[in-house]
Amino acid sequence: MNARDIEKLREIVGEENARSSPADLYIYGADASVHAARPDLVLVPGKTEEVQAILRYANAKKIPVIPRGAGSGMSGHAVPIDGGIVLDMKRMNRILEIRPQDILCRVQPGVVDDDLNKALKPYGFMYPPAPASSCIATIGGEIANNASGTRSVKYGATRDSVLGMKVVLASGELVKLGANTNVEASGYQLERLMVGSEGTLGVIVEATMKIVPIPKIRCLGIACYNKLADAGHAVSEIIASGCSASMIELMDNVAITAVNETQNLGLPDVEAIILFEAEGRVKDAVQAEIDAIQAACEKHGGFNIETSYDAKERTRIFAGRKKLFSSLSRYKEGYACTSLADDMAVPYSRMADLAGKIHEVAARNNIIMSAYGHCGSGCMHTKILMDVTKKAQWEDARRAVAEIYDYVHSVGGTTSAEHGIGLSKAPAFKKEKADSLELQRAVKRAFDPNNILNPHKLFDAPDDWVTATELRYPVGSVREP
Amino acid sequence: MAAPYERLKSWMHELNLCIRCGYCYELCHLYKSHAYETDTPRGKLLLIYGLLTGALQPDPGMVEKVVQCFYCKNCERSCSSKVSLTKIFTDAKADFLDAGIDFRGLAARTDDDLCSRCRVCQAVCKNEAISFGEDGKKIDIVKCEGCGVCAATCPSNAIIMVEGFGVTRGELRETVRAFLEEV
Repeated sequence: MNARDIEKLREIVGEENARSSPADLYIYGADASVHAARPDLVLVPGKTEEVQAILRYANAKKIPVIPRGAGSGMSGHAVPIDGGIVLDMKRMNRILEIRPQDILCRVQPGVVDDDLNKALKPYGFMYPPAPASSCIATIGGEIANNASGTRSVKYGATRDSVLGMKVVLASGELVKLGANTNVEASGYQLERLMVGSEGTLGVIVEATMKIVPIPKIRCLGIACYNKLADAGHAVSEIIASGCSASMIELMDNVAITAVNETQNLGLPDVEAIILFEAEGRVKDAVQAEIDAIQAACEKHGGFNIETSYDAKERTRIFAGRKKLFSSLSRYKEGYACTSLADDMAVPYSRMADLAGKIHEVAARNNIIMSAYGHCGSGCMHTKILMDVTKKAQWEDARRAVAEIYDYVHSVGGTTSAEHGIGLSKAPAFKKEKADSLELQRAVKRAFDPNNILNPHKLFDAPDDWVTATELRYPVGSVREP
Repeated sequence: MAAPYERLKSWMHELNLCIRCGYCYELCHLYKSHAYETDTPRGKLLLIYGLLTGALQPDPGMVEKVVQCFYCKNCERSCSSKVSLTKIFTDAKADFLDAGIDFRGLAARTDDDLCSRCRVCQAVCKNEAISFGEDGKKIDIVKCEGCGVCAATCPSNAIIMVEGFGVTRGELRETVRAFLEEV
């Protein structure tokens, strides 16, 4: 990318919407992952035509283009490993239409999840995926990442909310995918293919999303466990017994200690807790679900079970879960929290084994790991806590990540439940999907023959995540000269 | 002169604790005004990290980005890693000055021709950033948090604030009124 390219691209969005200072490039080369690289240019388009013009130019010149939402991804999806253009989509942030009678809304990709929900609230509706990062995460980023969250057990992931979208292809061509209807059987579901594509197939410039009525009544419960495995069994029991929960979250003692430390919540100091929630229109019906969930919890050793319909109390208890990820950095002096092997999914019946396995692997590799997550949807989160300044700890982390994924794959689980692959999880992903990697590459070529859209991610990412880019921590270069 | 960035170096572990989740910019006025990640608290920490590791040089644009903060502390309240963001930003200002790097930031400035030296500003400054000596009035740009209370109370309109960061004059007046009622 030369000075003339930069000048031409600046003209498309206007001087005030293009950045190339060292400070800007440094910041837009990072996200919430362990990785860091630098783009050559940051462009902030304000309309679809500008996105088209940028891609036409980049495609002709074979310049990488990395679409970016909030930069809150934890796996390095938005890290520009080959330089090029970071396409910051946050300026395209208009809610175009809210249609309660059709239970859908149309939005631009830069709309922040919480802002959309604020706009929907007066209509009595909500947009349900609810990732923990909803305060900053953009709808475009959530689609590209197939994000989900605490209520995914009831409402599914982002893919279950996507009805249609407008996408700018690598060639600059604008295509309309899906439909503004609740059901569709008209050929390939290409809008679904865009979900979780991590910016490798096209740039989403508009999305039609399903919305749901806000339930009138919600009840949140908490159950304590003296054994982490019992909590895992209880999750499986709740699901298998047919309870209609809107949330089932597990937190182990590492997680409990961390949020108590940072949020002063006074959660019980037990080996694990389960947070559960049921919701609906009629209190008796909600209570019936809560009773059934409570019985399933008790069957596997759950005790001190408390429930609350009070909104303030529910918010207080849930705050611990919402702030958990970042609280983990304060768990142990000298250790920092890193997003590695952080969101696998396993069959429900393996949840208890996985929780135990996580701690076993951590102990063997001189690191600390936490087991928590949206276990109601089969998603287990972990984080690796370690001394990030020591190279030996990164070797420990490398081994631990590989061991965890070997276990997950061995029981029929999958590498990522909701945070995506990016760079950090690419080695495990390539192992898991070895049979279909060539097919996935063929799909990528069909959409992006010049490989300009977020290149070297997913199936084409480096085989070693530790050396894929420089690490964001002061550990010195981990890459060979 | 202190060794370069000695204060900031002491925060290196804190910079590692920041998981870069970005939740800090949900309520950041500067970010809400500009919508550039370079204006976010996370962005400032990144720039400081780049400075300490030698990946970035302290050019004027970068320095201004680090020091532009209204100290509303919304970022600190949002941060569950409990990173002491504004203390780090204050130390950055002090380290920049020690390194001979000048900056504008959001600190108050005085039009000496208008200033009547009544010292009302000194009395209302909660950070004790304003002093009067033989050389006249001085505003300590490390201590000044750009709250604007001095500007709102100055009878001579002699204090100049940086404006245009998404805080309207009305909002500023309301904040000042609430502050004065409290004291």
